[in-house]
Amino acid sequence: MAVSWQRRLAAHAPAAVFLAEGARIGPLRETLALSPGIRLVDTPRHASVLLVAGDIPTGWRDDLRRVHDQLPAPFASVWCCCEPFEALHDPIRIDTLEALPQGVAETHRELMLGKRDSAPRLQPDEPPNPWEGLGDDGHGGEGMMGGTPYGRPMAMNMQDDLRDGLTLDTLTFRLGPFHSGLPPGLQAEISLQGDLVQAWTVTRKPFASVVEPIFHAARQAPVPIAELELSRARHHLRRLYRGLLVAGWPRLAERTLSLTGQLSPNSDITALRRSLERGGLWRLALPEPGRGVLDEAQVRELGGPAVRAAGIDEDLRSHDAHYRRLGFAPTCRDAGDTAARWRQWLDEIEQSLWLAGQAARHDLKTAETDAVETPRGPWTDAFPHDMSDLLGQVLPGLEWGEAMLTLASLDVSALDLHPLEEPWQRSTGDREGRA
Amino acid sequence: MILDQLILPWLLAWLMVGLGAYLVAVLDRLLATGSARDGSVWLAPLASAAWLMTQQATTTEAPDAPAWRLAPALYLALAATGLALVPWSPTLVGVDLATSLVLWGSLEALATVVIFLHGWSANAHLALIGAYRYVALGLSYLLISMFVLIGVALPAESLRLTEVVAAQTSLWHVVSQPLGLPLFLMVGLGLTFWGPLDLADSTDLSGGTAVERSGPPRLVWALARAAMLVAFSAIAATAFLGGWLGPWLPGPAWLLIKSLAVLVALLWLGRRLPRFAPERCVTLMWVVLLPLSFIDLIWAGAVALWMA
Amino acid sequence: MTPSLGTHIAFGVLAAFAVLTGWRVFCTDSMVRASFFLLLSFIAVGAIMILLTAEYLGVAMFCMMAVEMMVMALFMVMFMMNPAGLNPMKMVHQERVAIVVGVIAFVVLSAVAVLSEFPDAPLPAEHVPTISLGRELLGDSMLVFETAGVVLLTTMVGVVVLSSRRGRYGCADDGSMPPGLEPGGEPAGQPSEEEGEHTHHHH
Repeated sequence: MAVSWQRRLAAHAPAAVFLAEGARIGPLRETLALSPGIRLVDTPRHASVLLVAGDIPTGWRDDLRRVHDQLPAPFASVWCCCEPFEALHDPIRIDTLEALPQGVAETHRELMLGKRDSAPRLQPDEPPNPWEGLGDDGHGGEGMMGGTPYGRPMAMNMQDDLRDGLTLDTLTFRLGPFHSGLPPGLQAEISLQGDLVQAWTVTRKPFASVVEPIFHAARQAPVPIAELELSRARHHLRRLYRGLLVAGWPRLAERTLSLTGQLSPNSDITALRRSLERGGLWRLALPEPGRGVLDEAQVRELGGPAVRAAGIDEDLRSHDAHYRRLGFAPTCRDAGDTAARWRQWLDEIEQSLWLAGQAARHDLKTAETDAVETPRGPWTDAFPHDMSDLLGQVLPGLEWGEAMLTLASLDVSALDLHPLEEPWQRSTGDREGRA
Repeated sequence: MILDQLILPWLLAWLMVGLGAYLVAVLDRLLATGSARDGSVWLAPLASAAWLMTQQATTTEAPDAPAWRLAPALYLALAATGLALVPWSPTLVGVDLATSLVLWGSLEALATVVIFLHGWSANAHLALIGAYRYVALGLSYLLISMFVLIGVALPAESLRLTEVVAAQTSLWHVVSQPLGLPLFLMVGLGLTFWGPLDLADSTDLSGGTAVERSGPPRLVWALARAAMLVAFSAIAATAFLGGWLGPWLPGPAWLLIKSLAVLVALLWLGRRLPRFAPERCVTLMWVVLLPLSFIDLIWAGAVALWMA
Repeated sequence: MTPSLGTHIAFGVLAAFAVLTGWRVFCTDSMVRASFFLLLSFIAVGAIMILLTAEYLGVAMFCMMAVEMMVMALFMVMFMMNPAGLNPMKMVHQERVAIVVGVIAFVVLSAVAVLSEFPDAPLPAEHVPTISLGRELLGDSMLVFETAGVVLLTTMVGVVVLSSRRGRYGCADDGSMPPGLEPGGEPAGQPSEEEGEHTHHHH
């Protein structure tokens, strides 16, 4: 079959990838974001390649099937460290990270050039519920409204509005578990009144988050503080990157991400901070002061940067003799709201870089192995556990955009106690720099 | 008559839509950092367009069929109508209505309807939020836009865009009405939901009104958005920067240069700022920009009286 | 000036479109669809006005009606979150009254069109409709229009104030009492108990 000029031209387009993040993967989204020929998209409708990476537990596989079927043809799915659906004949498996970006881009090109057929649909294309309206237009019931078409009753509620007393109808829907704005694995049932979050119920807990292997190593034996702190800075930079994408600032997000690759004890982020301040991130884009506040009990349970953003100087590093020798003192913000947590990231990145610089000069290693402050929170005998139910208390009352930015500022998933295996392990350090 | 009243404006408008949209894609890529990784800047928009053309146009569970199909095309038609209104020279005008300024105003209003329908008809939650978030904000943009445009109509004593340009022979409105252009540009970003004011198709909604779109309709929607931005730049150049007026070069060249300048300014702003929070945006519009547009209008009236 | 054949055809098409979309308003099962069918009908009428050389009025009609219908639809979606009219609603109520009123209005208007004698006064060549409309609006009729405008604005503000549950003295559900003049005193500005009793006896 001759390939039309249109398809040949289309093969030059970057591969639009929807990434379904499973459990126990490294910073794959960030790696892909810097790879040439790949564009990450936020919805399966905008993608031509579905990339499934990491463990997808049984309970999540049906949702993945639904995501799979939402991609417009021609499309294909690429599976990385994950067992493909049996219904897919000829699935593409790429289990090494080095080959992944190239493989994904190649898959897109093959699709366009007709060398590969579009993947089959896994589920029948029919409404989940039958039409049950009455009469010609379905409105032949009693009174104004009739029937429950598609199994959904009329949107009707008499809940009080949380904002200004103007009671609107409630829209309830499910988001996740592969929605790019939510932590991987999280699924929530959300009720909105207008654009105001009325209720937020977590129906699936997010997958445990994995920190870089050095934090696991620090629990076993002393590790160089400089490396540990650089890892911490990278972790926060990646979170800032995801946050900035939600905040609609792709240019700065990319700049933030490109910093992770070149991080050294001499790096500084003054220029980044200045751009964020001058562009008006806090003045215009983030929720107003006082939005997304967590109370003391909540932040103590959450731990990590969130607790310090609320003015509580709880940081396991201050128990470490060598950190104290470097003059370490926890950096804190008072407000404990969303805006403060965003600032806290910058503060902690700056502090980590400073500590790394100091430690590199003295060639210091950590003194404690029983108590390690991970970027997610303190890890002693206890460790950060899943706090996603907290979202149900924080997000209601926030406007949708504020809720998403607040969500971006919170790290609610549990800490995974096992270090990453191959191939993710090597992904964490220098990969982003080379990409 | 049929040639210069039907075919010529039609050709002119669609030429502007096609070239303009391409230009927007190229300029936006040039203004973005790290653009080099997606291949050639000049080829990339064409390749993406070709990719969308090969893609299936998906649909949702129970969309409002007519609006779902028509919304992108209608938005493109509105952008083309807007471009047809732009006077290239005293004689080369697509559609030279006596009320072209009001028609532009009604295009802005109808665009609000079309953008709403685009999000609403998808029958999906995120698209719906995008749609009525746009409407809630769009009303405030519309008011500011009207007041600013009345300001430029006053010295011309006419609602005709050619007369508005002719009235700027001695002094461009960007000087005589200093508040006008900045206000109009802010409104422009809002109405075309671009950059910091992209609250309809935003990333917190995973693409807002276009979240369920794929294939050719998505291409048309993207094309229409870019064309609307071009139309806005051309109208801004006409209303505030003296349109075709200028020495040495022929009129159309001047209009082209001025429109490009406005377009680059808008795209640059789009890359330099984060997306505004909707609530702060409403406050900004009603508390700061709307009163400023009143001042602009009073100022324009006073200057018109004084000059007359 | 006799209208050309093109004008006649355009009028016919637009009039038929206006009637058709106007009729669809009553056949649809979603409030948003109904309001936008009405908008289409108004747009056709606006185009007819342009054909009648009332250019400004026609174009202003697009603008006004677009915003008006949009606001209407927005409020409807806000109060009835019903994306794409998935859950249909019956849009027609009190049919009988509506039919009677509709027929009467139609008869009266057609009678005016058929029976009255229209003046045969051709427009002067230099007539500019926009300017004469402006003179009318800001000349003799200014008082009427300005009054109407201010009344409408006051009504809107009033409606917002009345419908707001959270008032100056707290939530309306909790009784919304003004504070006393002295700390812990009687609510200020309330009619006294006896006065209330007094008026009650009169009934």
